[in-house]
Amino acid sequence: MARDDRFDLSVTKKNMEYAAEVAKDKRLTGDRYKLSVIDPEYGDGKGNSHGRYDTPRTPLEFNIEEIKNFKYDMDHCIKCKGCYWVEHTYNPGVKFNVRCPANLWNDFDAFGAMGKMRIGLGVIDGSLEWSPTLLQVLYACPLCGACDVACKRNLDLEIELSLEALRVKAVQDGVAPLPAHKTAVDKIIETGNIYGEKSDRKAWAKDVKVADKADTLYYVGDNTSYKNPQIAQATATILNKLGIDFMLLDDEKNDGNVVFSIGMMDLARKIAKENIEAIKATGAKRVVVSDAEAYRVMKVDYPKLLNIATADLGFEVVHILEIAAQAIEDGTLVLTTPVDTRMAYHDASSVSRLCDDWTPYKGERGWMGMIYPGQRRRRGREGLYAQARTIMAAIPGADNTEFIRIRENAFDICAGRGTDIAFPALTKFATAHRLDEAKECGIETIVSADPQCRDAFNAYKDPKDGIEAIDITELIVKAL
Amino acid sequence: MSMINELEKLVAKASDKAADLEVYAKDMSMMPAGYADAVVWPESTEEVSAVVKYAYENNIPVVPVSSQTHMYGSTIPKQGGIVIDMKNMNKILEIDLKHKFVRFQPGVTWNQMYEELDKVGARIMMPFTPLGNRSVLSDTLDRCVITNTVYDYGEVTQSLEIVWGDGSVFRSGSGSVHGFAADNTPTHGLYTPSRGVDPSGPGLDFYRIVQGAQGTMGIITWMSAKLELKSQIDKIYFAPIEDLDYANEFLYKIMPRRIGQEIVLLNKVDLATVIADTVEDIPELCAKLPEWTLAIVLSGVKRRPEEKIAYEEHYLTDVINTTFKDISLKPALPGFPGLGRKLLNILKTPWNAPSWKTKPYGAYEDMFFIARPEKASEYVEILSKVVAKHTYPHTMIGAYIQPIEHNRACQIEFTFFYDPANEAEKEEIAAIVYEAGVEMMNNGAQFTRPYGNLVPVIYDRAGGYTATLKRVKGIFDEKNILNPGTLCF
Amino acid sequence: MAISRQAYKALESVTGSKYISEDPVIMQGYKSGPGGYEAGLGYERVMTVLPAAVILPKDTEEVQKIVKICNRYHIPYVPYATGFYGPKTHCHVDDELIIDMKRMQQFSWDEKHMYADIGPGVIYSSLQQEAFNKGCYGVIGGGGAQCSAIANLLGDGWSPLSLKIGLPHRRILGTELVLPDGEIVRMGSLAGSDDPFWGEGPGPDLRCILRGFTGLRGCLGIVTRMAVKYLPFIQESPKPQGIAPNTSLALDEKRIRWINYQVPTKDDQVKAMYEIGAAEIGGACTKVPVFWRAIAKAEDKEEFWDIWLKESEESLKNFHLVRVMLIGYASEEQMDYELAVLDDIMQECHGKPRRTKASDESWLKNADSAGMWLMTGSYVSVEFVIESLNQSVQHGESFAALKASEYTPPLFPDFGDPGWFQNFESGHQGYSEFLIYWDQDEDTSGVDRFFLQTSKMNIENNYYSSHLGPHQPLYLTGPQYGPNYHLWLLKVKNEFDPDWICHPPVPLAHDIFVQRAEWMHDMIDWEVPEKFPMPSWTATLTKEA
Repeated sequence: MARDDRFDLSVTKKNMEYAAEVAKDKRLTGDRYKLSVIDPEYGDGKGNSHGRYDTPRTPLEFNIEEIKNFKYDMDHCIKCKGCYWVEHTYNPGVKFNVRCPANLWNDFDAFGAMGKMRIGLGVIDGSLEWSPTLLQVLYACPLCGACDVACKRNLDLEIELSLEALRVKAVQDGVAPLPAHKTAVDKIIETGNIYGEKSDRKAWAKDVKVADKADTLYYVGDNTSYKNPQIAQATATILNKLGIDFMLLDDEKNDGNVVFSIGMMDLARKIAKENIEAIKATGAKRVVVSDAEAYRVMKVDYPKLLNIATADLGFEVVHILEIAAQAIEDGTLVLTTPVDTRMAYHDASSVSRLCDDWTPYKGERGWMGMIYPGQRRRRGREGLYAQARTIMAAIPGADNTEFIRIRENAFDICAGRGTDIAFPALTKFATAHRLDEAKECGIETIVSADPQCRDAFNAYKDPKDGIEAIDITELIVKAL
Repeated sequence: MSMINELEKLVAKASDKAADLEVYAKDMSMMPAGYADAVVWPESTEEVSAVVKYAYENNIPVVPVSSQTHMYGSTIPKQGGIVIDMKNMNKILEIDLKHKFVRFQPGVTWNQMYEELDKVGARIMMPFTPLGNRSVLSDTLDRCVITNTVYDYGEVTQSLEIVWGDGSVFRSGSGSVHGFAADNTPTHGLYTPSRGVDPSGPGLDFYRIVQGAQGTMGIITWMSAKLELKSQIDKIYFAPIEDLDYANEFLYKIMPRRIGQEIVLLNKVDLATVIADTVEDIPELCAKLPEWTLAIVLSGVKRRPEEKIAYEEHYLTDVINTTFKDISLKPALPGFPGLGRKLLNILKTPWNAPSWKTKPYGAYEDMFFIARPEKASEYVEILSKVVAKHTYPHTMIGAYIQPIEHNRACQIEFTFFYDPANEAEKEEIAAIVYEAGVEMMNNGAQFTRPYGNLVPVIYDRAGGYTATLKRVKGIFDEKNILNPGTLCF
Repeated sequence: MAISRQAYKALESVTGSKYISEDPVIMQGYKSGPGGYEAGLGYERVMTVLPAAVILPKDTEEVQKIVKICNRYHIPYVPYATGFYGPKTHCHVDDELIIDMKRMQQFSWDEKHMYADIGPGVIYSSLQQEAFNKGCYGVIGGGGAQCSAIANLLGDGWSPLSLKIGLPHRRILGTELVLPDGEIVRMGSLAGSDDPFWGEGPGPDLRCILRGFTGLRGCLGIVTRMAVKYLPFIQESPKPQGIAPNTSLALDEKRIRWINYQVPTKDDQVKAMYEIGAAEIGGACTKVPVFWRAIAKAEDKEEFWDIWLKESEESLKNFHLVRVMLIGYASEEQMDYELAVLDDIMQECHGKPRRTKASDESWLKNADSAGMWLMTGSYVSVEFVIESLNQSVQHGESFAALKASEYTPPLFPDFGDPGWFQNFESGHQGYSEFLIYWDQDEDTSGVDRFFLQTSKMNIENNYYSSHLGPHQPLYLTGPQYGPNYHLWLLKVKNEFDPDWICHPPVPLAHDIFVQRAEWMHDMIDWEVPEKFPMPSWTATLTKEA
């Protein structure tokens, strides 16, 4: 091939076509450039009337079932990569300074939110066809929200919703769920739980007091029911100890976390509705969960699916963390038994940056990207950051420390939201990386409020390192 | 038409008389003599440009010369050609106290600069005892290390006017804006908003390539350099030092706190030689002086000078009392009354030629390099071992350590004093410099200003750098007419 | 056309298949824009294309092999560190390779000699924290906390902290550069050893070709290693506090503090800066764009506009702030001394202290450039120039006047604010930066035109400018600076990259942009060569094309 051809810049046809198209645009001539800055039409002191800046307002809905709602967000990613690195103020140095597990696992920009936003545009405009790589990019990601809180530090782009919308689009287009996810979903449909277990879901509920009727309902979840019954027992013990009567659902079913997370909106909506109806049917005013992901899906994603606000669910969703921490502060829960280990709390995404209340939004976007009416952004500020630390500090003689990356900067280990089902290698990688961090910090016991995280840590730990992971409820019971 | 006739048409003054050429054939170094075919004394950039263009067209070497004393052989014409002596281009074009810079031509000497700046309450950062008749521009461009260590932004060079190897005239840095002429001063009315104070750009950092180039990359016809306001109060402190490593640890501690302005460490040979009023005093001073002397100048600048000095003194007292009890830092060196005033003056003013280094025997050879301060004693040891193999006496070697940039580095300079008539001694010193230099390089010494017999070794070791340098040289001086035979060109 | 199989296999053999891709999805992830620095504009739309392939080397040896393969097979390539610097660091020609340097995160620190030895994947905020841990600090340049420190030091590298720390090119020490033809040159003390602690020589300083005030956008090779000088700071690292987005570094005010002073006139503001420089106090001293105050106060974009649109030309004209950071490097007593001196100066300048938080939100570990996009979605600093305070003050006024004359809209209303200015190196230099904002969903051709017009304004007014080299048409600025710096730059380019393999057609890309973008044609009033001095493959891009 002649070099002359290979390097001819004129072959970048799309660019040339664009240039020609812009040149034809009549708005680019004449008075367009002659407008005066001193124009009473902008800025009347009331934030109104930007007449000279003629961007029309367009309808906008924070609805992930229509991907075009998020084109603005995808268009405005500036590739600062704040989504990848730990927030600069907290950036700890050259080690453990990344908060995006997906992009740490696979270095191409495509695997970071900045790449996914650009890929999203390709999906919207049809220039990218669905492919295994595209599905891998979208699904080899824990939707942990690190990128979202990062972006909302400065830009207020809806990154998490964009990522969710892309998965919904994949399902809408019939290319998802991925085979592994499909198998899991089939089990949920068949058995009501993600493991396809047919055994007694309440087998754990021995030696604890369960009320027939109470204001509080404990939603246990698949993992705790079948894989970690001791967490359920510990949760029940704590509630009993505090004198909080609680019920269980007669026929508790999967919470829809994975179904929602992989973008199967119709099924997820059905599950949400059924669960809400079942809870409401008990008369419970409050649902306690011990599983971080159940917390998030009920508090945030059920309302999202049903286009209602969290406050309109009809019941309150609380994590046992909140109850225990409050009780410690109130003096009603006193921890008396020392726990002789060096501990640190692992902020699971679903009880931290992902769990701000949901409020539906329908309005318009206009000049400079402003939205009308305005809305308080979900920036991960309502995470349960303090509660676990309050609990751990209350243990006598506790040797508490911290990971390097904590709270909204914590590193997600990709154990939840279905990531581990389709991409176990990513889960293994991310967990091992977090365990390295634990080692660096001299942590012996990792405390988590997410049973999936607990399982992953214990599955991938190197016994030589002497690190174990336990649930916060287990810790509380140990310290009682 | 002969070359001299051509040159006479291009410049105010030119000569090919043997007596005139003789002036440039030798210098204070051990380098062999070399003769130019002609010498010109231009008075303007245009004249310099015209001569270089002529030389470029006729493939004639040109050797730019700006100072009146030369120590390292770099201005000796090695392949004949034309010496361009810039001494008549000796104007200080502008002193701007508001923006703290001075713009000047290459013939401006340290004495001239000092006097003119002193009159207006300003000073320029100087190396240790720069020779009063040397060119400020040459020494600055050659990266002579300054004694003031407190400014984070040590380098003083700003914009330059450069005549490239084809005779074209160029301005680097922000002086590159169009309309920026030599007399671009408020008083002349040719005022551009740009004052020429950014060294960088345009497009490339051109100023970098002429630094350390010894006239091989271009001829500088003016330079803008940073000046500082004169200090209101200066106080000098001395500490006798027996353990060089301990002294350096002390400097590692205090200098990052931005304490002190001029800071130097001199061994007894150098200090004795500097302060001796007569040659005869030197041995006696050497006998009395500590092995090393640390001198630190504290200065109070424009506002509240006493308070500034006070907090620095309190800091030093605290550090010495808590951590460095063996440092005895006092306003005077015991047994040397009046030394404070004397050395302060030496540190703050140029040295009238000839150099103090000629005091003992009439001639000297320097070797200097950049190093980590913590390794200074190791280099002293290396030198001792090399010298021990020769007959040249160890007691005759001067040593001067100049901390740089909050002591993250230093320049170490060894001086060998000798009798210029003693050929055997010269040869021996050359051998010591070579042998010790190579060994020091092996141990991390950085000879960033290559001179003398170490030049080939330095460039040989830096193979990739040397090859790239030659390619760049080919751009700015495509016919290699600028000071050929120097460096690696 | 794509990269030939033979060439691709050769590249693959260098890094292994895990670190090379030509998958269209992966390529789309490397798209420039449409948001971002200098993005969403004509240049980005007209001049950038998706890469044909992306490769991620792990070390210098791999970079060299890749570059040599590119030369052998004539594959154009562009080095890419973190990709933040807009379209000019993305592919410009078809079948181009991105060499993504992010894996090269080597790092070591020499505590005593105060430098970090790093690879291009290391970012500023990480490095600054490492520096804090050793009692040092550096400047986080305009690219912000997440950009590659090396990339930024090659083209930017200043902030208000430059008052004390000084210009960025002084902090570049031993450096390793893979030249466009694949040869390696090691500069400074690396030239003859493996020790990077010193930046100069031997002899002439080849750092000449690394940058030229604002950098070459990767068209003269790839820096694979650099030792970066850090400066001594207070010994306790400032502690982070707060939850995003309200995070900051808590400052121990006995050793470090910000103080804002309001002064009655611009003359007082400028005088205060000169005097602070002359008194040699302070770690930073700056006047920032007034709308940054609104950004700082606003919870979100909508609130920003509520706050900002209450301003007027009159209100801005009479609002003058000097923001000063004092640092007691040595002791609390130094802080007391500097406070006393500052108080003297402010009394002379009629300054009144305003309430200032005991924290740093912006400069110590941040250069919060990402925040610049909050209010409009699109931003670029159309000028950021180091010259005298004399130029800086006039410069901003000229930009404000030009912007007001024809370009607002599409640029956002700023009520005539002349931007940002401050002093550097204790007053040896001044700095001015003019930031423009617009809505990228509007017609942005006016932004393109404004950008070019500022270059002409700089020339007309004899201003020095950051936008030289590849940042504006080279044939517009070239004859006007130096003069003819462009000819030397092109000679250097041709010497090391005769086939223009390395990031073509930079540094002539902006020249080509104005040729291609028809809406720019009426602005071309400078001499354009019949044929650009590039290899013959660019023949179609002459004036008549």
